[in-house]
Amino acid sequence: MTDSNRRLDRRRILQLSAAGLAGLAGCGTGSQPATDSSGSGDGGSGDGGSGGSSTETATDGSSGQQMASSVTAWSWDVAAKSLDLIDEPYEEANGGDVTVEQFGRSNMKDKFKSRILSGSGAPAIATMESVDAAAWVDTGGLRDISGWIEDAGIKDGFVSGKWGPLTKDGATYALPWDLGPVGMFYRNDVANEHGLDLESVETWDQFIAEGEKLPDDTALMNLPPNDYDGVWRMMFRQLGGLPFTDSGAVNIHSEKSLRVARQMKRAHDAGVTSSVASWSSEWFNRFADGSITGLYGGAWIEGTLKAEIGDTSGKWRVMKPPAYESGGNRATNWGGSNLVIADQVSDAKARRAFDYMQFALANKEMQLKMYRENGLFPAYKPAYESDAFDQGSEFLGGQAAGRMFAEIAPNIPSYTYTTDTPEITKAINSEFKKMISGDLTPKEAVDSAANQVADRTGRELA
Amino acid sequence: MRKSTRDEAIWRFLGYTFVLLVTLLMVVPIYWIIVASTLPEQAFLTAGTDIQLLPGSHFFANLEALQARESVDFIQSIGNSVFIAIVYTLLSLVLCSMGGFAFAKYEFTFKEPIFYAILATLTLPIQLLVIPLFLLISQMGLTNSYWAIILPWAANPLGIFLMRQNMKQIPDALLESARIDGATEFQLYYRIALPTMKSSLAALAIVLFLFQWNLFLFPLVVLNQGKYTIPVAINELVGAQRVYYDQIMVAAALSIIPLFLVFLFLQRHFVSGILAGSVKE
Repeated sequence: MTDSNRRLDRRRILQLSAAGLAGLAGCGTGSQPATDSSGSGDGGSGDGGSGGSSTETATDGSSGQQMASSVTAWSWDVAAKSLDLIDEPYEEANGGDVTVEQFGRSNMKDKFKSRILSGSGAPAIATMESVDAAAWVDTGGLRDISGWIEDAGIKDGFVSGKWGPLTKDGATYALPWDLGPVGMFYRNDVANEHGLDLESVETWDQFIAEGEKLPDDTALMNLPPNDYDGVWRMMFRQLGGLPFTDSGAVNIHSEKSLRVARQMKRAHDAGVTSSVASWSSEWFNRFADGSITGLYGGAWIEGTLKAEIGDTSGKWRVMKPPAYESGGNRATNWGGSNLVIADQVSDAKARRAFDYMQFALANKEMQLKMYRENGLFPAYKPAYESDAFDQGSEFLGGQAAGRMFAEIAPNIPSYTYTTDTPEITKAINSEFKKMISGDLTPKEAVDSAANQVADRTGRELA
Repeated sequence: MRKSTRDEAIWRFLGYTFVLLVTLLMVVPIYWIIVASTLPEQAFLTAGTDIQLLPGSHFFANLEALQARESVDFIQSIGNSVFIAIVYTLLSLVLCSMGGFAFAKYEFTFKEPIFYAILATLTLPIQLLVIPLFLLISQMGLTNSYWAIILPWAANPLGIFLMRQNMKQIPDALLESARIDGATEFQLYYRIALPTMKSSLAALAIVLFLFQWNLFLFPLVVLNQGKYTIPVAINELVGAQRVYYDQIMVAAALSIIPLFLVFLFLQRHFVSGILAGSVKE
């Protein structure tokens, strides 16, 4: 090694040590009480900080009703865009400012959960899917807003099925936003071309029989291998099935679940299904070129299709999901979100947050705005009175699907989500994969899935 | 004689076959990512029917789609990752080698308990540390700064352990003779220990760089948009309405490049036997 080399090394080391010391010094000064540039305790574009916010609580104590002038809301995709729609009218009407930050969905969930668990850096408002409610409430980081909901007298306005997952031990942790009454969307042009009569279909068996009229390269519906559990859950809920009994025992091997498994297997064996990963571009392309005819999905999926494959506008129709037997229930649900308030933000911020949430969600006009623009189906019942639900959708060839969904919504059986719901998702997906490929019978698949969940969660089998 | 050459040939053949197989296992996924990044999404997602093995011409279209996204600036996230990983690696190399040197060559009270306490922290999964660390970082006012990602693992326990093991090989006699020649203790570290540890430092650098490069949950929680590292930026492409596989593939393919350069740069430092003949015993 030459001398110059060695000197270079030494210099580099000295530089690095200096950098390290600077870093440590930075820690020193920073550790004084949150010197937060934005001053917002709700995570804004921000540096998070200010977990305690004792000063703000103090001012609240004296006045009792102060509201912070601005809050931050976290959301994803269409939901974030919808909150943006509300931002301006809210500012005009109530004077507060809401900053909406958009994230990838799983990023937002992980980030928000970590921040409510750590008690600092969370935004005042966040979007929460009902399916996550149990897990989020369990962190103890969400604010109980039942008092405010009661004071505002808005509880009865929402579809009753929405409240279950949002409530625990008498406390309510979220305000319902939208829901996803399920329909069987289908390509009407493809159905007509091959002589399918879907309008008179009432049961799954009739539906599959119609599908057999399609040529081999065209599927009646898709069973996504990455989301068997989603299909299973919709069909299971339609039967009024519950994944856990009242006492918390695992119940996914029940007679109802078995019926769903058999139905899915029958559809697959009849050769009328395809297996394309959902939410991929191939998935959208197959609906666009008509080689998959039907899409079993929540009402909001119309907005997604419009955005992704707008060219097919006018070729679609939607029907109620087929029943298991003639006259059986045809209502079920896929998806649905709510808004929550982080417990760590000051009372003033929380009050502003609730004021905004009430303005956005317990409000016919704003709900209709989000329904029209982004297809979010309101959970707020007064919105259904609007003739917006009777208007024909151009995408659905003039069909007034909104009215059909508004009829379904109140009949949706309620469903239980727990912190162990992700285990069910995993078990159903892995065991149904084996069932579809013929390695397990439907009976073995549901039994094995139930055992797996019981094993991993320490719950009893029902 | 004849039999032994035949045996040798057979063994060599088996050896090469094994190495070839391992190479294939390692190269194929990377090759596939690169191919996939040049294809439109439906071309590489068509489940099982006909697998595309030759690159297509869709790379720039995919890249354009990736760059058009509002919520992720991918090129910037590469910059962020590179900066963070380089600063982290250099800082950590200094701290780990100093720590390793102390544990290998000095005697002090509670040396063993301290060392095993450091080693024990290796058993804590990162997921467990995320929340306490985030609290610490936010109380320091470092949220959303590069230091928030660099400092927590700067004195990497694995690095300290590896450097200690390696520095034990430095003969005490060598250090003694340097002391007699009037070298200070710090000079012993940077003029004798460090130069002889070049290849170990290079190996450790790769480990540290990869560790930082792959961190996901902690950067996600601590950093905000604009400061995202690559893994976090890629995960932004999993939307509620769609998973953008084509853009994910481009992002993954691009994120390999800096790693590749780091390996290329460090591999020439893997020289062994630098200590050979340094002392006569």
